[in-house]
Amino acid sequence: MARRSGYWIGFFLVLGALGAAPLVLPEFWRRFVTEILIWGLLAMSSDILIGYTGVVSFGHSAFFGLGMYGAAFGLLRFRPNLWLALAFGLLAAATVAAFVAYFSTRLRDIYFSICTLVFSQIFYVIIFTWTEVTGGENGLVFRQPPLSVPGWQRAFTPATLHWFVLSIVTLTYLALRQVTRSPFGMVLQAIRENESRTMAIGYDVKRYKIVAVMLSGLCAGLAGILYAVQNRFVAPNFVFFDVSGEVVIFNVLGGMGTLVGPVLGAAVFFLLREGLSRYFTEYYLIPVGMIFMLTVIFLPQGLLGFLRRQLNQ
Amino acid sequence: MSADAFPSDRGALVRTEGLTMRFGGLAALNDVSLSVERGGVHAIIGPNGAGKSTFFNCLTGVLKPTAGRIVVNGEDVAGLPPHAISRKSIARSYQVTNLLRGATVLENVRVAAQSRHHPWRLHRHYRAYHQVIDQALAVIDAVGLRGKEEDLASNLSHGEQRTLEIAIALATEPMLLCLDEPTAGMSAAETRQTVELIRRIAGDLTVLIVEHDMDVVMGLARTVTVLHYGELLAAGSPAEIQADPRVLEVYLKT
Repeated sequence: MARRSGYWIGFFLVLGALGAAPLVLPEFWRRFVTEILIWGLLAMSSDILIGYTGVVSFGHSAFFGLGMYGAAFGLLRFRPNLWLALAFGLLAAATVAAFVAYFSTRLRDIYFSICTLVFSQIFYVIIFTWTEVTGGENGLVFRQPPLSVPGWQRAFTPATLHWFVLSIVTLTYLALRQVTRSPFGMVLQAIRENESRTMAIGYDVKRYKIVAVMLSGLCAGLAGILYAVQNRFVAPNFVFFDVSGEVVIFNVLGGMGTLVGPVLGAAVFFLLREGLSRYFTEYYLIPVGMIFMLTVIFLPQGLLGFLRRQLNQ
Repeated sequence: MSADAFPSDRGALVRTEGLTMRFGGLAALNDVSLSVERGGVHAIIGPNGAGKSTFFNCLTGVLKPTAGRIVVNGEDVAGLPPHAISRKSIARSYQVTNLLRGATVLENVRVAAQSRHHPWRLHRHYRAYHQVIDQALAVIDAVGLRGKEEDLASNLSHGEQRTLEIAIALATEPMLLCLDEPTAGMSAAETRQTVELIRRIAGDLTVLIVEHDMDVVMGLARTVTVLHYGELLAAGSPAEIQADPRVLEVYLKT
């Protein structure tokens, strides 16, 4: 019981701090925190696969990108409505996730990863070359939709956008947390521990993986929509595979199988990039890479796993 | 009981007809037809490479047999995937310990029991399903792992891990329990305990056991089937098998 109340105290402290951030932080850092939340959501979605199901997706940029482009499509072709953008983005991400899930879950281990990578690159090429719809290399630019409920609407300010993003990320986190502890989530973790055993006790592993990939892809798409709304543009380089690679790095840095760990990983990664690129300019990836390797060697459970162990002692 | 309604099928829980498994030119199983009666322990023995494990793997869906039928309760299950076989109430343990190593003993058994309830629920906490947990605890109790529920499977002794193997299989409420060398690598004392355990659970269900240890087999089994180079060599009671000159010849040679 003590552990449980400790968890909720921590939860509300972090939530409070993130909620207060736009009121106290200067403009640059305010934007920075909002962006970390969005990338954190993307990393969290990937954790469902890496941390809980034990399969590594190298194709999360596709889900993220399709969420983005779906939202942009809805905003440009129909109306600048936030909920319409959400609906279009989620539909696009879900379609792609279903497609990728169907094929990739036939494969195991590294072959699964390669399959997701290949599919994300296919979608990258489609988006890059289908200029009439996607704007090709230049991407698409659009106006930010206002925050609206039926009968009321107001243009986003940096603060309200931050709170909007924060509430969506928090709700998604709570939902995913519930899923990971549901009977379904326990099956995913059984698959991670031992796939053949899980099959032998009566679980159709492939179907569970398909649902896991779709769930993960949907949340990644949500992150893409938020990014599009925040930045008012979409571009093909967000669908490129280095985004997928960064997502895996966020997970390893922060701690896989914890949901919040990957958000922390994203925060640390962006802070490192911010801090180091001042001294190393475009070579900042060299020290970042070294820090990453040191984490893998000395903190194999990631930063959150490390912190948890320190707190438990 | 349905078994009484069809006296012709009475007794036979599993029947294989011409079961054949080829790997390239090699026939690991060649035209094996045998039947396993309902109730009690039935053993499959044979020297290394006789096709015992291949037979198990065909029966539990790991391998798709090249030819032949596997009839369980009057239904051909040959070629079904492992999860579908499990749903036909056939459970197995593995020769090489095959557990959810990073999970607790309770979780290993609970997730197996859960497969018979509502695994597709996404919104409620798994602990809210008390029935599944109670069932798992009952199985843990029955196999004698009580007090180890919260231990990680990887921290158990070898003998305990083998027992957990059996517990996981039992938690899926099988009619037929297939044990692949359940006493492999066990000490004499652990072997005795496992034999006792198998004897106890065999009262309620049918156990099919692959075993090297002749003492274990002869003390436990109601019927013994001998495989040799993928073919059925002999079948009968333990006494008949022990007196069979062909069996003696095969076992003396190796």
